[in-house]
Amino acid sequence: MTTTPDSALILVKYPKEEASIIEILHDIQLAHRHIPKDALSAIAAHTDVPLSRVYGVATFYGAFSFEPKGETVVKCCMGTACHVRGAGRNLEDIEARLGIKSGQTTADGKFSLESVNCVGACGIAPVVTVNSKVLPKFKMTDFDKILGEGEK
Amino acid sequence: MKILINGRAVTAFKGETVLTAARRAGVEIPTLCHHEAVEDSGACRMCMVEIREAGWDEDRTKLVTACLFPVEEGLSVQTDSPEVRRTRKEILELLLARSPEAEAVRVLAAKYGVESSPYPDREDAELPNCILCGICTRVCQALVTGAITMSERGPNKIVGPPFGEAADACIGCMACASSCPTNAIPVEDTGTTRTIWGRTFDLVPCAICGAPTGTREQIDWLAKKTGRAAADFEICVACKTKATGEVWHRISW
Amino acid sequence: MKVASLKEFEVLRADAKAAQEKIRKKILVCCGTGCLAAGSGKVAAALRAELVRKGLDVDVGLKMNETGCRGLCELGPLVTFEPSGIFYKGVKASDVAEIVEKTIEGDEVIQRLLYRDKASKQRVETYEEIPFYKSQTRWALRNVGLMAPKDITEYIGRGGFAALAKVLSTMTPEEVLAEVETAKLRGRGGGGFDAGRKWRSCVNAKGDERYLVCNGDEGDPGAFMDRTIMEGDPYGVIEGMVIAAYAIGATAGFIYVRQEYPLAVQHLNTAIEKMRDLGLLGKKILGTEFCFDIKIARGGGAFVCGESSALMRSIEGKVGEPRAKYIHGTEKGLYDKPTVLGNVETFINVPLILEKGGAWFASTGTERSKGTKAFSLVGKVQNTGLVEVPMGTSLREIIFDIGGGVPKGRTFKAVQTGGPSGGCLPASHLDTRVDFDTLTEAGSMMGSGGMVVMDDRTCMVDVARYFTKFLVNESCGKCVPCREGLQQMLRLLTEICEGAGTLRHLEQIENLAHVLKMGSLCALGKSAANPVTSTLRYFRDEYLEHIEEKKCSAGVCRALCRYEIDEEKCTGCTLCTSVCPTACITGEKKTPHEIDQEACIRCGSCFDVCGFNAIRIL
Repeated sequence: MTTTPDSALILVKYPKEEASIIEILHDIQLAHRHIPKDALSAIAAHTDVPLSRVYGVATFYGAFSFEPKGETVVKCCMGTACHVRGAGRNLEDIEARLGIKSGQTTADGKFSLESVNCVGACGIAPVVTVNSKVLPKFKMTDFDKILGEGEK
Repeated sequence: MKILINGRAVTAFKGETVLTAARRAGVEIPTLCHHEAVEDSGACRMCMVEIREAGWDEDRTKLVTACLFPVEEGLSVQTDSPEVRRTRKEILELLLARSPEAEAVRVLAAKYGVESSPYPDREDAELPNCILCGICTRVCQALVTGAITMSERGPNKIVGPPFGEAADACIGCMACASSCPTNAIPVEDTGTTRTIWGRTFDLVPCAICGAPTGTREQIDWLAKKTGRAAADFEICVACKTKATGEVWHRISW
Repeated sequence: MKVASLKEFEVLRADAKAAQEKIRKKILVCCGTGCLAAGSGKVAAALRAELVRKGLDVDVGLKMNETGCRGLCELGPLVTFEPSGIFYKGVKASDVAEIVEKTIEGDEVIQRLLYRDKASKQRVETYEEIPFYKSQTRWALRNVGLMAPKDITEYIGRGGFAALAKVLSTMTPEEVLAEVETAKLRGRGGGGFDAGRKWRSCVNAKGDERYLVCNGDEGDPGAFMDRTIMEGDPYGVIEGMVIAAYAIGATAGFIYVRQEYPLAVQHLNTAIEKMRDLGLLGKKILGTEFCFDIKIARGGGAFVCGESSALMRSIEGKVGEPRAKYIHGTEKGLYDKPTVLGNVETFINVPLILEKGGAWFASTGTERSKGTKAFSLVGKVQNTGLVEVPMGTSLREIIFDIGGGVPKGRTFKAVQTGGPSGGCLPASHLDTRVDFDTLTEAGSMMGSGGMVVMDDRTCMVDVARYFTKFLVNESCGKCVPCREGLQQMLRLLTEICEGAGTLRHLEQIENLAHVLKMGSLCALGKSAANPVTSTLRYFRDEYLEHIEEKKCSAGVCRALCRYEIDEEKCTGCTLCTSVCPTACITGEKKTPHEIDQEACIRCGSCFDVCGFNAIRIL
């Protein structure tokens, strides 16, 4: 069971109890763009919870993934306001142009595409986010903005 | 206290559930995810009953799961009302579509007039008979080593060890498989080995007659847990009974 | 510098208030998510730079605030001025120099940046004259969009923590409870349970430790009121929590924020730190014996964690599986201790109630629903954004007077409230006076406040399918009716939308709705069939059209519609060709165009842009 230096630094910030599990997973996901498999054992040891339960938590919640995300994560909001304003069409178009389906990452690791739950920006629906940038009232002609952000 | 079950006054004790009081009074309530050894979860919904609490209007009732609902003064319970029967039937229709070959489900479904599900059978399931009652994981977590768990959520929920891979924590005791109501967990016992959850264990032979007892890991775990010598567990149930004159119960196969 | 006594706090307050009064002109640049996305960050930066360049940044009479969401997201970036109320929309960084010269240094108004009323075609100078704002009563949103969210001094100068000081210096916990009970404040998260009653049952529960939890999970798609409040008025939320904690005797509190809201987490964390520094959180608050502290817990990305028992499990580090509520959370909640769990909007109302009295609060609203409600008015409506109105305001007023009605000349079809637990109400219900019970009686529910407007280009069967699909993925999977029943429901609805529906599908849907409602373990499952049952109730004809005629008149279900160009109406303007994603429309300029039915994916883009009504949905 190996713990990367980053993960060890994260663990030490949190109390050694079950309640720390989700917070630790968030920090690791942010630091590594995914949850490395052996991080789970480290979390289990730190919080004194069986590995299986830590695994259960990591797989229950949508925020955590075992597969590394691409450098640029494109999220297409599928909330209700976005849905009625054409999010479905936007997603198809982005899938076609990136060459991947939602939930996948391009072979070169540059782009990941996700269809996500409402991001809470319904006033500017339909919304597409590119890493932390929010693209308002997204139209299919805005696709280049995604590529532009990706290049930054 | 006294509560009413199907119109009959029945003794109940503070802190217990409707299910406990009902079973003690000889009233049958079907269950699938209930197991005496572990806490109830209320997952299968089969034990739904129709209740009226003290002070409620004549026509006000509520459906609750008997396995979790605490008894209270003035409670009135119907275990077989039309609403209860309809809901149980609908649940069984759903379970039968999920696990059409699960014997326990088929038998119960037949009792409610469901010979086959109106919904299409689930296909390509990894554990076809698993109804996600959770008994196995509750047993393993509470009583053994916590090697298996429920992972994912919703339609992808599945039982097993982390990553679906052989787990270090598993001791091959089969408490999960033997407590499963639908025999959903595959186990391969060859007499000298046991394969479960992707791991093959050696079975330790009885020191007296040579019949298989438990796995090495299981015996060592029992020894550690009880503070007794491992040798105490390397005797099969039959030989132990003969040797001590006492009745020994199998904890697992 | 900790404030060691209530007396010291009064001095601090007087100073902060005096500083506010010195300001003759406030410039409020909305930096809520909507405006930020439209570029308000650049506007704010340009504005600061220009003020510095002109030496105006040292003028204490001039204050620029980057605020939380101003509400009218459709028209951002928004810049407002106080006290004049001048309201600029669609502001760009390139407008900044002119704004500083004309409106800040001078008192002139820049016409092109003003809101133009659609009906009268007139420009409107102040936001109070804009219908969107005129009809609102902003109580929960009283500070949002008006102050810099993290500025504790400004919060205090605006009257913040006055309620807390009043509570700690003059009221017993019982008196606070009584005031909240008098207010008849009902939970704003969706359940609508009487808050006073909930707090009292927690007080009555046996136990030495009590917890207070604020639900900032806001999982309903289409709702962003709580996000806006947490980002724009974090001190208000926390003040409400401290008062509640005092009333119920809690020493520890949590704010559970969904992970999609990192800015809210940031603002709340800053607010907590600053309050601790001042002695408004932690041990001996404001020098009294009362101790209370708060931690933020981030959600893991699960809608079901908006359910109170699942939320508590999540704070405990477990999977978010709800428990049966036979024993209430107020008796055995977080870590099995008595717990009060309330929504963000519920807590933001608390300081107001304690400041002005429960009777004052209860004088607004309807018989059974007091106070106001914030709604996210979104979808097919002209003015999308955040609105707050007194309970009892009609749907018509909200959607048409405040929202400006349905844009692009389309017709109103339905309004969806209550998120995935709610339902769709048709035009015949537009005069429903919005409150918890009227909406439930009509077959929908208030929910957390998401209000999605739908027009004739929305297919109601598709809407039911959309919500069911959402719930299938969000179900925790513990209980059979929800986990298995929703999957079957989705399959049936999908088959209907793909042209394979039969009347038997409707029969099975009704059975599934029954087992979901009667058999599910938690509120997610119990209300999961609402989108289907409400659309079946009011739009059954659409279901029948899909099933019997294999047709989708809204032009949404691709297998059940066709887009055709009417040769007689088409002018050959080529607008449709330019938006068609599959390039399946052919035709010379100024001659009628044609859609290749093989290549057409029924996206409807052509229909949406055609200015000649030349495209038919068949």
